[in-house]
Amino acid sequence: MTDARTAPSRSVNTVLGPVPADDLGVVSVHEALLSVVPGAEHAYDITIDRAEVFEVLAKKLTDFRNAGGGTIVDSTGMFYGRDVRLYEALSRSTGVHVVASTGMGPEEMLGGYFLTPQTNPPTPWPAERFADLFSQEVSEGMVVPRVERRGGAGLVATTATREGMTATDESLFRGAARAARDTGVPVSIRFGADAVHDLEVVLSEQLPADRVVVGGLDRRDAVDAGAPLEVARRGAYVALDHVGSDSVDRDDDDAHLTDRERAALVVELVQAGHADRILLSSNAIGVAVGQPAYDLPFSHVCSTFVPFAKSLGLSDEDARRILVGNPRDLLTVR
Amino acid sequence: MSKVNTVLGTIPAEELGVVAVHEHIGYGMPGSELDSKWWKTPEQRYEETVPKLRAFHEYGGGTFVDVTGICNGRDVDYYKSLSAKTGVHIVACTGFVGGDTALPHFARASVDYLTRQFVSEITVGIGDTGSRAGVIKVGVSRGGRMTELDKRIYRAAARAALTTGVPIMTHLAIDAETAIAIFSEEGLPLDRVLFGHADDGVNAEKTRDTWIAEQGGRVGFDTFGYETELEDPPFWARPRKERLDHFLRFIGQGHLDKVLASADANCSPLGWPGVKGHTVNYVFEDLIPDLREAGVDEATITTIFVDNPADFLTIRT
Repeated sequence: MTDARTAPSRSVNTVLGPVPADDLGVVSVHEALLSVVPGAEHAYDITIDRAEVFEVLAKKLTDFRNAGGGTIVDSTGMFYGRDVRLYEALSRSTGVHVVASTGMGPEEMLGGYFLTPQTNPPTPWPAERFADLFSQEVSEGMVVPRVERRGGAGLVATTATREGMTATDESLFRGAARAARDTGVPVSIRFGADAVHDLEVVLSEQLPADRVVVGGLDRRDAVDAGAPLEVARRGAYVALDHVGSDSVDRDDDDAHLTDRERAALVVELVQAGHADRILLSSNAIGVAVGQPAYDLPFSHVCSTFVPFAKSLGLSDEDARRILVGNPRDLLTVR
Repeated sequence: MSKVNTVLGTIPAEELGVVAVHEHIGYGMPGSELDSKWWKTPEQRYEETVPKLRAFHEYGGGTFVDVTGICNGRDVDYYKSLSAKTGVHIVACTGFVGGDTALPHFARASVDYLTRQFVSEITVGIGDTGSRAGVIKVGVSRGGRMTELDKRIYRAAARAALTTGVPIMTHLAIDAETAIAIFSEEGLPLDRVLFGHADDGVNAEKTRDTWIAEQGGRVGFDTFGYETELEDPPFWARPRKERLDHFLRFIGQGHLDKVLASADANCSPLGWPGVKGHTVNYVFEDLIPDLREAGVDEATITTIFVDNPADFLTIRT
């Protein structure tokens, strides 16, 4: 029997095409490169200078690479400023692999095309239509709207409404799960009010749990509810993806654990036998448009946080597994 | 001086000629650009659009008012090239077709911010095109009642209209009491507002057209041609004769000075199939002949298609 992990067909969809999974190196699974609130591109007081955006992002990616980083996953989906051609140029010039995502959500972030279509009555899109839209972005390539398709998406990312999953959010989650199931890329969910509930929705679409990453599990309310451990027990990946949130000045500072608490949670999950389910990321925003900056280096996880977690007892082997092995297994197309 | 903003610059209102006051070069709901089933090559787009505008011009059409709002595929650089090559004046709009076509950046915005957006597009230009908007589009979201966001947009539009002198056009004239209350609170004279789609198949029954005219508002019979007689009519279609009778009845009630007419057609739809056989040229090929046949005289036709729109579109200073 051959070891599936060394089979040559194991690859990950990056913006420059499929890359052998073992080439990814250190991966940050939940980050944003160019992040544009839908509609902001039409605002009278906003101009997006592509050359300037490129320069800022190239610098941040180079810093990430110099800190030992290998791959950035832009997990903002298809309707939040994703610019595939820019990401291709960035990846070529910095040598950092860039995985871009399809998907959308939560409901509030959708265009009217999906919510009030030109039908009578204006029924919001059902799951199967979202599944088709997202699947096409993986199998036929990500869209440059009304122009062309580029490389395939490496991830389907969706988000539920913070106050709780709406009916349309549920269609998005089911559609994302079906797209992941049918194309072999993983799905990333950012839960609304209840992480385990929202995970169960995608699992009920016959998607294996190890194809799912649940983001935001370092949110205080989720930690208080015991969600990180519950999600790991179900076999899904636990993303503690607001690393560094306490070093950025934001209104919602209290919503997430501090890095000290987060590191303790990592150690706790490892001790509970879930080292193979932990992912770390920052949800940093490379360039933020139409929203406050969230200016944290992409290298924060590997340069600052992981050394700190090691000082609390995280082993080198587990650290390596969390930074390299787990994201590789998640992102490998099945 | 009577001036109107077109995509190629400011022109005298005297130059507008026959106006199709509520039209679309191409309309798509926000997000439809992500669905490649609707994509067309640039060649296709020009091929579908240019002959219609050329025919419009040859029929004697002077001005095409495009009311494709922000986020609906409004493409001013494209309109500029179409206008320059066909000789048709094109007026572009600022504003939104309805709250449900405003993307989150605008859906979350205050009345003040929306006002600044509209004023900027009217006085500075739309994006980096240098073209100034000539009308402000607002509308009622799907569902029949104005939403909180619709109301914010109407109020911002009223303020921008007062500041700039550019008029407002509405998508749908249902829930007009709410709209008129907002315009009155803001002190906007109602002859600066065209309440549109008073004639459409779904909403005509629910639209208080004569009441709006009595309040001083202008009334748009501007979905002419969306007929149940078409091969594949849309859900807002209406029998041809019923619409025409409605229009003639309204004029007969003494509201000629308040009326405007148009076809609301898409030259090349962006995010929907469009309606086969329906174009802006319905105005010349069907509507004006029907009016003549019904005994409407030439002076009245000129009032509807030339004088009223010129008065409405002229920037009021």
